[in-house]
Amino acid sequence: MSTQVTIYEPFRAGLPPIGAYLRQLWSRRTFIAEFSRAELREQNFDSVFGQLWLVLNPLLLSGVYFLLIYIIRGSSDSTRYAHLTACLFLFYLIGNSLSGGVKSITSGQRLIMNTAFPRVMLPISATVVALFKFIPTLAVFFVLRIALGLPYSWQMLWGVPILLIALLMGLGMAITISCINVYFRDIANFLPYIIRSLLYLSPILFEVSALSPRLKKFEMFNPLFSLLDSWSKAVVHASAPDMHSLLQSLIWAVVIFLFGTYFFLSRERDFAVRL
Amino acid sequence: MISLSVSKSNSQNSTHAKHGLAVSISNLSLIYKTSISKRPTFKARLKSIGRGKKHTRVVNAINNVNLEVHYGSVLGVIGSNGAGKSSLMRVISGIIPPTQGKVEVHGSVSTLLALGVGFNPSMTGRSNVYLGGLAAGMTRSEIDSRFEAISEFSELGDSIDAPMRTYSSGMYARLAFSVAATVEPDILIIDEALSTGDAHFKEKSLNRIKELRSADRALILVSHALATIEEICNEVLWLDKGKIMMRGKPEEVVAAYKEFLNVGKSASSNEDV
Ligand SMILES: Nc1ncnc2c1ncn2[C@@H]1O[C@H](COP(=O)(O)OP(=O)(O)OP(=O)(O)O)[C@@H](O)[C@H]1O
Ligand SMILES: [Mg+2]
Repeated sequence: MSTQVTIYEPFRAGLPPIGAYLRQLWSRRTFIAEFSRAELREQNFDSVFGQLWLVLNPLLLSGVYFLLIYIIRGSSDSTRYAHLTACLFLFYLIGNSLSGGVKSITSGQRLIMNTAFPRVMLPISATVVALFKFIPTLAVFFVLRIALGLPYSWQMLWGVPILLIALLMGLGMAITISCINVYFRDIANFLPYIIRSLLYLSPILFEVSALSPRLKKFEMFNPLFSLLDSWSKAVVHASAPDMHSLLQSLIWAVVIFLFGTYFFLSRERDFAVRL
Repeated sequence: MISLSVSKSNSQNSTHAKHGLAVSISNLSLIYKTSISKRPTFKARLKSIGRGKKHTRVVNAINNVNLEVHYGSVLGVIGSNGAGKSSLMRVISGIIPPTQGKVEVHGSVSTLLALGVGFNPSMTGRSNVYLGGLAAGMTRSEIDSRFEAISEFSELGDSIDAPMRTYSSGMYARLAFSVAATVEPDILIIDEALSTGDAHFKEKSLNRIKELRSADRALILVSHALATIEEICNEVLWLDKGKIMMRGKPEEVVAAYKEFLNVGKSASSNEDV
């Protein structure tokens, strides 16, 4: 073994050496895998019924919303139902990432107080858990799609980059909110309302085409708006998404991720004292 | 105290020079600033907006400490509750950044202070051992190869697969110590893992620590068990209110500390192993 020298000096707000940090993070990637697996196991999602519940929950929800739309508008069709389901599932990926991430630092207190490791591993694990919860719902969606007899085309492959953008956004949000929660513990209590509002403001219960241009302009400020729109275009309508909205969602995701990561990394050495 | 040929061992290829420097601390201070309100919340922040200055409590946990620990030595750290022992260990392992001064660590520290094991009480002991080890930077195969030894040493039997919230505090301590003692880092820090075990386990862990003493390892032992400290350490550091009161031969420092505490003759203080 070679002797490495580590030097600890006073904390200054600012980024730690990024190269060393990433190397540390990479060398602990198994922790992320193991932690996510343990978390899923603990929530019983490794059993058949656990997975069934995972799928059933958003499916029931989409059924309820479908009914709601039907009652309010008096009519509906299968495309609409597919749109609702697909968007709800993707929304849940981000929502789960947020709600799993919010307490990831504060509940890891014991570990943080006693072990030195890149703290960002904890919110990353939350997003990985959200991803594993998302995968079975995606499978269900494609079964549903066949049952509803929706069209197919190669354009549906746009779903892959859109999913990656959604993951980046979910990760950025998890990192941001876990850090905020260290300083403002009640953000965890507000979170359900925030998620609910996002749900109603996003094009899930309605489609973008039904929106007036004035409202559409306003929706630029909803990070999920163009993302869900593109997602619906690709996987429901099997057509290419609008490049403008795809770009917009990419910018949103990158901005949230960079902002959150900067915020997190520049403060994480302070966490052990704050918990 | 006797610093033999302090070789700066940065770029040496193989194991540490005997009596090489393991930890070097200069002018270290650590100040905790905590708000008086128990939980920092958005609501509390809003309420205090009009009120001018923030109410914070300032604790000077470590106060201008200079210290060198060499390979091959076993350093005992004693001091009353709140003296800053755990804080000092956290700074050495890089968990808390110092407020002032500098810490140099040569070699790998078991940053897994024993208490890190079991951070998630709803998971099993087994999961917690793996997660704690992985977080501290071990690889899965390293833990795989040591898991048997860990679970055997802890003597937890089937409980290792039970959620840790069902453990007694002694069982926690057993598992924590077993992990810390099996990892075999260059610098091993054991903070108070010895105190809650029963007599049998105390004896066993004491023997384990004696086995762990070797020329190319530095051991730092924090404990209130003065007799233990006196027995296994070759150097003792006494901290009080964040300052070094004394450092030197175990018997002398422990005697001075006992005198300071005025418990020299009472029975309860001699009850450790
Ligand atoms: N996270 C924290 N925030 C604020 N103050 C803290 C924090 N941790 C410790 N302190 C304070 O720092 C001082 C030193 O604490 P520390 O835990 O290092 O003591 P210790 O020597 O380990 O005591 P013990 O023997 O009881 O374990 C104490 O006054 C304590 O109140
Ligand atoms: Mg302590």
